[in-house]
Order: sequence, then C-alpha cells, then structure tokens
Amino acid sequence: MTVQPVGSRPGGGVQKGSSGNGLADVIDTILDKGLVIDAYVSVSLIGIEILSIDARIVVASVDTYLRFAEATNRLDLTKSRKPGLPEVVQTAMSGGGGQQAPQPEQLEQLKERSPLEAAGDKLSDFSDAIPRQSRKEG
Amino acid sequence: MAESATYIYGVVPQDIEVDEEAKGVGDPPAPITAIRHGKIAALVSDVSAGRPLGTPKDLYAHEQLLNATAAEVPVLPIRFGAVVAGRDAVVEEFLAPYHDEFVAALNELEGRCQYVIKGRFVEETVLGEILTENPEAAQLREEISTLPEDAARDHRIRLGEIINQSIEAKRDADTAAMWDQVEPVTVMQTVRPPSHELDAVHIAVLVENSRQDDLDRAVEDLGRKWSDQVELSLFGPMAPYDFIVSQDQDGE
Repeated sequence: MTVQPVGSRPGGGVQKGSSGNGLADVIDTILDKGLVIDAYVSVSLIGIEILSIDARIVVASVDTYLRFAEATNRLDLTKSRKPGLPEVVQTAMSGGGGQQAPQPEQLEQLKERSPLEAAGDKLSDFSDAIPRQSRKEG
Repeated sequence: MAESATYIYGVVPQDIEVDEEAKGVGDPPAPITAIRHGKIAALVSDVSAGRPLGTPKDLYAHEQLLNATAAEVPVLPIRFGAVVAGRDAVVEEFLAPYHDEFVAALNELEGRCQYVIKGRFVEETVLGEILTENPEAAQLREEISTLPEDAARDHRIRLGEIINQSIEAKRDADTAAMWDQVEPVTVMQTVRPPSHELDAVHIAVLVENSRQDDLDRAVEDLGRKWSDQVELSLFGPMAPYDFIVSQDQDGE
C-alpha cells in the first residue's frame, strides 16, 4: 500500500465544514474511495448487501443540454441590446424585476439556493432512490 | 436472527483511545471498539450480517467516525461496507498479515490530513459569460426565442452542447488555477471527477496539520478573486480517502 493521490461565494467567502455538505459528498467519498477490503481479506469476508447508488458520474446528455438551454433562455438579457456580464449579474441579483422577466420565481430560487440547500435537494433524491436500488460491491 | 459480524472502519495507531460514546453503523448504532495488534488497531463495531447497510445514517456514521478520528490521529480509511466474519478474523486476516504495510502508511500520514476543495459555478453568471464570449451561443439563444418550441429543439440541443463544452473548458481552467494555488501549501493533490455539471473545481489535497491555515488562506484568496462566479467550499479535516492506494487498486 502506498500513500499517493488516487487517479490522477460571493464576497470571497469560502464555505467551511468538517466534511462534505450533504449525502452526495459523503457518497462521493466513502463509497468510492478508501482501502478496498477485498484487497486484503478474502476468507472471512462477508458480502453484505449495500444499499446505495452511484452518485459520482456526470455524463452530459441531451437532457443536460436542454436544461442548459432552458436556463439560458431564462436569463433576462432583453433589457439591453448588448448583454454584458454585469447586467446579467444584476438581473439575477434583483430577482428579475418581475414585470417582463421570464420567470422571476425561478431566478429567486436560483439566487437563494446555497450549495448547502442544493445538496439537500440531492439528498432527498438519494433517499428516495435508496430503497429501490442496490449496488453490488465488486 | 442473523449472525453478528464485524464491520471495519479504518486502521489507526495502536495507542489510540476510543470514545465510549462513539457509535457506528447499524440500527441501533453499535458502539465502536478497537481491535489491537502490534503497533496498529482496527476501528470496528458489531453488525448484523442479515441487514443491508447503506442508509444515509449508516453512511454518515462511517464518515463521521473516520473524520473525527482523522482530526486527531492518522487513519487509513476503509471503503464503506467492509464486513468480516468476526473479531478474530480482523486480526488473523487483516491486521497481522499487513501489519508492516499499515504501519508504514500510518507513519507517512502522521501529522497530515485531507481536505476537499469544491467549487460550483453560479449558473446565471457562467451562462451570461458564455453568451458574451460565444457568438454562436448568443445567436442560437436569439433564434430559439423566435421559434415555436418544437421547431427549436435542435437549436436548444446545440446551444446546450456549446454551453456544456464551455463549462468543461472553464472547469479545466479553474481546476488548474486552484491546483497551482494550493500546490505550494499542500503535500499532495488529486483532481476528483466532477460531481455535478456545474462543478468548477473538485480537488482533494493532503496537507500538513501545521499548514491548515495556509491552505485556508490560499483557497480564500482565490475565492475572493472568483467572487460571484464560483461558490467555493473547503471541507476538512477528513480521513485521507483520496490518498490511500492498496496494491490491487494501484492497477499493478
């Protein structure tokens, strides 16, 4: 065994925590990394069923593309004919204004979602999925 | 009633003390004990062999025990779900045969711990940037708004594809920038695969305990520069999950 690398906020604030901020981070870490017991123990190993899902792989799909396009479409760039970055930011910050903004509610949501809450969303997704899915450990 | 088995969390130096309150996986959570052999010890708890593991509570219990341990002593974290027949097997098959290997790794980890740096693009900002930088994307967006929804599907897919590619390029650039930023204050670094399509940075680092503040500052400095563009998080100290490689995993 060796110690080596495996595999190859606004205002400048950095979120801190002792561990990841949600089940997604936990899954990323403890299901995917660390010593694999099979490499050491063979005879008395008990293959216990592991309820879980594989959370780490991000594969861009048509769904992803459509979601990005939809999010882009929601951006309110129409107020000015030259969509500059500061205006985009400002639009988002002000929640879209309300009058002609396509979907102010969604902008609000985006704005208010801290990474923590976003992870919380993922968490409930996983919780839903857990009883139905199982992964066999290699 | 299913038989009891032994769940293994990690390997630590022999001279540790286990908090009597420490609880592990299972329902109800079982107390943590240490099985010692020579200079090392395994952190374990009893677990029912008949019950599947992997509820969120189980996952948190495993992680929290190892992270709390890592904050105090070097620890070799075992991947979630390691169960053997009993306490004797832990010594005979695990601690005794690999004793020297584990001791060497623990020595190497002495005084070091892991942190994970995670950055997520602020969606509206990054999308705005891409539209500004990429004329094709801006034009597609324009066209989509004038077409009926069905007719615009191909346009939308193309637009999304451009955005995805642009985000990947920005991710590579930001990951490289963060790597360069933390390299001088850390012992080792490794890039983790993105865990979300808007990930800007996902890097694990091994750092000397005495340099944790330096790491903090380095990440914060870049965080200030990226303010409004990337939401940055720094997690740790945690067990060195990303820096422990057994021979089998090594691919040798």
